[in-house]
Amino acid sequence: MIRYALVRGALLVAGLLVSSAVIFLTLRVLPGDVAQLIAGTQASPAEVQALRESLGLDRPLPVQYAEWIGGLFRGDLGTSLLSGASVGEELLLKSQVTVPLGIMALLIAVLIAVPFGILAALRRNARGGTALSVGAQALAAVPVVWAGMMLIVVFSVWLGWLPPQGFPRTGWSTPGKAIESLLLPALTIGIVEGAMLMRFVRSATLQAAGQDFVRTAAAKGLTRTRALISHGIPAVGLSIITVLGLQIAGIIVGSVVIEQLFTLPGIGRMLVADVGTRDLVKVQSELLVLTGFVLVVGFVVDLVHRAIDPRQREA
Amino acid sequence: MFRRTRRLALISAIAASAIVLTACAGAADPEPSAPVGEPDPDATLQVGLVLEPTNLDIRHTSGAALEQILIDNIYEGLVTRSQDNEIEPRLASDYEVSTDGLTYTFTLNDGIAFHSGAALTSADVVASYEAVRTDATLQGNAEFASIASITAPDPTTVQIVLSAPNQNFLFSLTGPAGLVFQTGDTTDLKTAENGTGPFTLTRWNKGSAITFARNEAYWGEPAGVAEVEFQYIPDFTAGVNTALDGGVQVLTAVDPNLAPQLEDSGDFTLTTGRTTDKATLAFNNAKAPLDDVRVREALRLAIDHDALVAAVGAGSTLYGPIPELDPGYEDLSDVVSYDPEKAKELLAEAGQEDLELTLTIPSFYGTTVPKVLISDFQKVGVTLDVDSVEFPTWLEDVYTNRDFDLSFVLHVEPRDFGNFANPDYYFGYDNAEVQSLYAQALAEVDPDASAELLAKAARIVSEDHAADWLYNGATITAVSPLVTGFPEDSINSRINLSGVTVAAPQ
Repeated sequence: MIRYALVRGALLVAGLLVSSAVIFLTLRVLPGDVAQLIAGTQASPAEVQALRESLGLDRPLPVQYAEWIGGLFRGDLGTSLLSGASVGEELLLKSQVTVPLGIMALLIAVLIAVPFGILAALRRNARGGTALSVGAQALAAVPVVWAGMMLIVVFSVWLGWLPPQGFPRTGWSTPGKAIESLLLPALTIGIVEGAMLMRFVRSATLQAAGQDFVRTAAAKGLTRTRALISHGIPAVGLSIITVLGLQIAGIIVGSVVIEQLFTLPGIGRMLVADVGTRDLVKVQSELLVLTGFVLVVGFVVDLVHRAIDPRQREA
Repeated sequence: MFRRTRRLALISAIAASAIVLTACAGAADPEPSAPVGEPDPDATLQVGLVLEPTNLDIRHTSGAALEQILIDNIYEGLVTRSQDNEIEPRLASDYEVSTDGLTYTFTLNDGIAFHSGAALTSADVVASYEAVRTDATLQGNAEFASIASITAPDPTTVQIVLSAPNQNFLFSLTGPAGLVFQTGDTTDLKTAENGTGPFTLTRWNKGSAITFARNEAYWGEPAGVAEVEFQYIPDFTAGVNTALDGGVQVLTAVDPNLAPQLEDSGDFTLTTGRTTDKATLAFNNAKAPLDDVRVREALRLAIDHDALVAAVGAGSTLYGPIPELDPGYEDLSDVVSYDPEKAKELLAEAGQEDLELTLTIPSFYGTTVPKVLISDFQKVGVTLDVDSVEFPTWLEDVYTNRDFDLSFVLHVEPRDFGNFANPDYYFGYDNAEVQSLYAQALAEVDPDASAELLAKAARIVSEDHAADWLYNGATITAVSPLVTGFPEDSINSRINLSGVTVAAPQ
């Protein structure tokens, strides 16, 4: 187990290093730079060049990369070229929107997926079960943006229950308002991700139903449903954790779109704005933090999986 | 199954309304428009704006979003400009220009202090301007190129000597280049300030709002309101909703299509302000086929400018490079008319039937203008491809690399005719006569004579069809009847708030 964790940990670090290089290089392909943006259209080329030098944008790429990585090792995510603000502090601030949003979305997704997924599996041959499966298939195919717009139309425009956009200026000091403004976006991601997860829960449950130990339990006198619920589903739970890990990555990606749609001041919106202003030092740190988060979730899921599932322990 | 879903819906409906109810309990509904009372000196003015600055460092960062709120309110220069773009004294009580147009002598007002408490002297002015002149990374460095010397003969006098007369010099002092900062100050100007203006910065909640408080120690007439909150609402519809909910008393840059909603509510009066925004359809004069004047003229003849202004919803037609608020303005509508037939003939003459051109446009300008242009050009047989790009991409491709056919940008800077006298500017327009007229206009000491020279040069530029000026922008502002004295014109580049008052609702 320890050996596995060490190897897996080394892979995680290697993954982060490769991602950092990929992020750094791909961002440099973008046309336009922050110096030109700061200087404006009335500036002379000499002024822009002077600004570029003072911002350190004229230094060779390996130097810039080394400086960035060096800062990261000292726990410094860098400062924005444009605003002069610390990237770490701003990430922390914006995560007060994105993290609760992600957690709410994940909860909604699980609340939808687990009961309906099991139900769909149990009623596999009944009309209700088929309807559920087809419904999930259709929902999972819905683009998040469209789902969001539909929810806005229903809950904000028609019913007027929830705000169509924005986050209270007062933030979490008015928790009611904050939750209210996160409800629609969380529902949007939660429904779409939940539908995807539900299909997985259904097929995992069906797979469990075919396992020998479930059949044995049924043979001992339990009903098929009872056997499945008490013996099959715990075994399936493990693989659901793995999928849930992937789901978290999906929710992060989804938040970029959803924060834009609902004008929420979160990490996703900050990222889009910073790419738009070519604040590359900021963007690369933000992207690396997000990548790191996804990689760490994968790492933890793998370790948990290994620890729980007896079949995976090394001989 | 069906029943369960319905129960679920019912539960969520109850839960949602409970949340809404608790949220509503705290916030009182806005008062219906009441008769206006006396100005309340303790009032907070809330202003809705669209474009948030990226940082507050006006010395290093360009952009109207910064100048709009900081100049005159937080920072001041020796001179400033009125809503009509006239130059007025500010920190200087008076100024004198020598008859040869070379020596500018400014006398400072008494009792000016920075927000830090330090007194402002002519030495601070010299140090501030000397920095702009010598540091290429400071805004306005190029505008100070003609300065020979900046001196302070005594603590209240500043003397600037130019190496050659420059009609634009005094105007450049009304911009970021002319602002005065405390000598040796270590304030981080990106997030904080130390100006001399009637307001101080209290808070900046990035992505949301900037708050100013009245500077009680201001050297001049103190501001009429205790606090100003600028709320940044990038989405036009959300801005209107905020205004209708009573969240702001003034909403700037109202989308013309949404303006009726605010007017019909009865809670706002709309003003339409003039600007120096020139919606410029730039032609790449240096590149075929647009290096052919017949092609450029044909494109201008193909555009139905009146219909375009109607589609945009606000503004007026403009047929030359100088707008009404700038010196040298002249109605040039006689230069070009709407004549698709003649446009076709000109294109045929130039051998450019079945012409295909690309319009590069920053994405935040929306689709109204490109749509009108596509259909107008279609009628004369020109196919227009629209390449909507991010602003940094536009800066790189169009502005720096000149890699474009047509480009659309709102040029907001006042008195920027010089771009057409600069062959290195992205327009690629190179006309020796225009350059000479512009140089003469700058060197001319008499303002009226200078304006005449500019008008002459502007006519040549328009007759050369160096670009098309699709319209002169106008800015719609919704103002609550409780608010008095809010500026109307040029507010997308300058919102002077010192004279604004808010009445207590009765």
